[in-house]
Amino acid sequence: MVTLAIAKQTLEDMLRRKILLILLIVAVAMIALGPSVGFLSPRESSAVLRSLGLAVILLAGLLITVLTGIQVIPTEIERRTIYTVLSKPVQRYEFVLGKFLGGLFTVFVMVASMGIVFLGVLRYQEGRFAPEMAQGVMMTFFQMTLLGALAIFFSTFATPVVNFFLSFGLFIVGNLSSVTESLLQNKNVATRLVATLVHYAIPNFGNFNIQNKLIHPQVVIKNMNVFIMQNIAYAIIYAAVLLILAIIVFDRREV
Amino acid sequence: MHPATRRKLLLALVPLFVAVVLLQARIDPFVAELHKGSRTPFAGLTTEFILGPLLGMQQAVAGLLWVRADEFFHEGDYDAILPMVRMVTWLDPHNLDVYITGAWHLAYNFTDSSERSDRRYIPAAQKLLEEGDANNPGVYDIAFELGWENTDKIKDYQRAYHWYRICAYERKGADERGELTKPVPMFVWHQLAHSLVRLGRIDESIEVWRKALAMSNELVRQDPKDFSKRNVRDSERHNLELTLKRKFSRYTHEVDWSIDGKRTKSIDPYTGQPTPADAYLFLSEDDIRQKREQFTNVGEPVPPMSVGSPRPPAVVPKWETAFDVRPTFVEDKVLDLKGQFNVGDGARVTIRLHDENWRPPQLKAFTFDIDQSVTLMQDQHSVRQGTWGRKIDMSKDPKMYSFKSERYFLVFEFDPRGTSPFIQDRFGWSGEGMTDRKYLYVESDKNPPNRILRKVYRITRAQVFRRAPITEADVFPAAEYARLQKQASPPPPAQ
Repeated sequence: MVTLAIAKQTLEDMLRRKILLILLIVAVAMIALGPSVGFLSPRESSAVLRSLGLAVILLAGLLITVLTGIQVIPTEIERRTIYTVLSKPVQRYEFVLGKFLGGLFTVFVMVASMGIVFLGVLRYQEGRFAPEMAQGVMMTFFQMTLLGALAIFFSTFATPVVNFFLSFGLFIVGNLSSVTESLLQNKNVATRLVATLVHYAIPNFGNFNIQNKLIHPQVVIKNMNVFIMQNIAYAIIYAAVLLILAIIVFDRREV
Repeated sequence: MHPATRRKLLLALVPLFVAVVLLQARIDPFVAELHKGSRTPFAGLTTEFILGPLLGMQQAVAGLLWVRADEFFHEGDYDAILPMVRMVTWLDPHNLDVYITGAWHLAYNFTDSSERSDRRYIPAAQKLLEEGDANNPGVYDIAFELGWENTDKIKDYQRAYHWYRICAYERKGADERGELTKPVPMFVWHQLAHSLVRLGRIDESIEVWRKALAMSNELVRQDPKDFSKRNVRDSERHNLELTLKRKFSRYTHEVDWSIDGKRTKSIDPYTGQPTPADAYLFLSEDDIRQKREQFTNVGEPVPPMSVGSPRPPAVVPKWETAFDVRPTFVEDKVLDLKGQFNVGDGARVTIRLHDENWRPPQLKAFTFDIDQSVTLMQDQHSVRQGTWGRKIDMSKDPKMYSFKSERYFLVFEFDPRGTSPFIQDRFGWSGEGMTDRKYLYVESDKNPPNRILRKVYRITRAQVFRRAPITEADVFPAAEYARLQKQASPPPPAQ
């Protein structure tokens, strides 16, 4: 209950932040403007509209997640409100989990809002509801769940600026999973070792990029549902690892 | 936190991390499948576009690049489009339209000042389509485009048939959701039938028309109110009947459909016989006189013919085409042609000039870097009143016609398989009713053999620059030319 109370307070606090609302408004406007590229052939227009919509949700979700993740704990420390919280019967792990869940709810509200607008635009443009695109929005949310956990972990020991670059940098490296995966077969042993370490130790954000299948339905994946479920499990388990690490580090930190 | 709790948490990390590694190993094959054909996220991109792929937005960047390419196309800046096509296909190897449009650009839109295509790009166009087809193996679209390009641009009907056959028998069409669950559209079957006609395999073509008609009948039965399905079904019925009529008239007994139309309105789709059955009989002495003149004109003995007896087929007797041409370079790199061809108006003669050692290249991988030193010109001229020819000015386009080689082949060809049906009514699909005293060449390696007309000159660079005239002494054996051309161009798999 304490965790949820902290999460609720964090969500309310985040939704009051103008920067996040501006990001949301800009993203929604960009999605709504998507049909303006409709001068291509119908198939191309559809591909461009879908890919741009998903990209805007990803980009806005990325910024919202990082900005939320890097702020939620350091702001409490800077404002010294954390003393008030921790002087109450609140465990530190509850504080960390509450902050993470609050940030996650914020990201959920934002991504879901963009997703609803996106599906509406698609419905208007293509004349039919495209439920399969909800998969893409959902995968973006779980990608952001993992990124949020990473940002929370870094925020337990790094300053917000350092955290921003660390989270953003690891997001980029993690997006190169198809590259690191191909390097696993490299003949050079050293390259193979580094690739293995990077591929399995760093969160693989590239796993969640299923746009190929969503934009081009002719791309056949033998068992898409299994793939999606495995990715969701990956996001949840890896987020759990990062949160445990965050709890351990934060527990020893002097505030 | 109690030290014991900390220890438990640290211990819990181990199985969780093992689970992460195991999950990643399970996910990897899916990711590889999903990104099959993609190159590295960087894919030769400029800095303005590089961030998107790094953040996992390859498709969005590919889409934006393609929008930019479309703008270049409308501005006529075709050169700028090619690198973008390459980048887009690397970033998003499932965008079918990019492969198709890119290959179309390569094959059709690079032209000289007289709108003749730069055919040096055709192997690249084919390779781009083949790459796209390999990246999208379940889809018919790119294979169909390969078939169409081989039909329309390259006139390699064997390869066209090869691709149409793959489309019809091995590929699927997309449903309303874009998923590959539906049979390919009926026009794929139509093109397969047309390609068989272009190969002279008429009976097989008729079978394909029958198969298509049966499929369309079933589609109409399921949805009788669909106008487009009824329309497709009617066109198949028409094409089947037309092919049967032509086969009967050209090879069994000639029927003058324009005269006998009132009597011969239909043909039995199973037997291929006109109705009524006496539609192919000589009706008058006038009919016999016309046919007799044909035999006399080519010096063949006139067979016994009487009113009421069946007419010989349209391809009997063979028609002497008196095909010939006199090429002259009237200015440096300006070729003037004066040709004759005893055939109906509208038949088209193909003219090809290329380096002596040029062969259709077999690219191992797609590249749009062509050998700029190669000279390759191809054009077609229509026959009017038994003559053809005009000036071909290659002096204005030195990049396309550099004339760096010392020797060239100058080839003039007529292929009955690629000509209009009204010309084929006289010659047959494979030139069975065509002969020429000088330039008949039988492509006996084809089944059935194809009788074409081909006159080949082997000329020198000095002749292109008018330091010596082109004479009949420069005529080169057509069979030897065919042998040289085949050396680098293996045929597609026989089917």
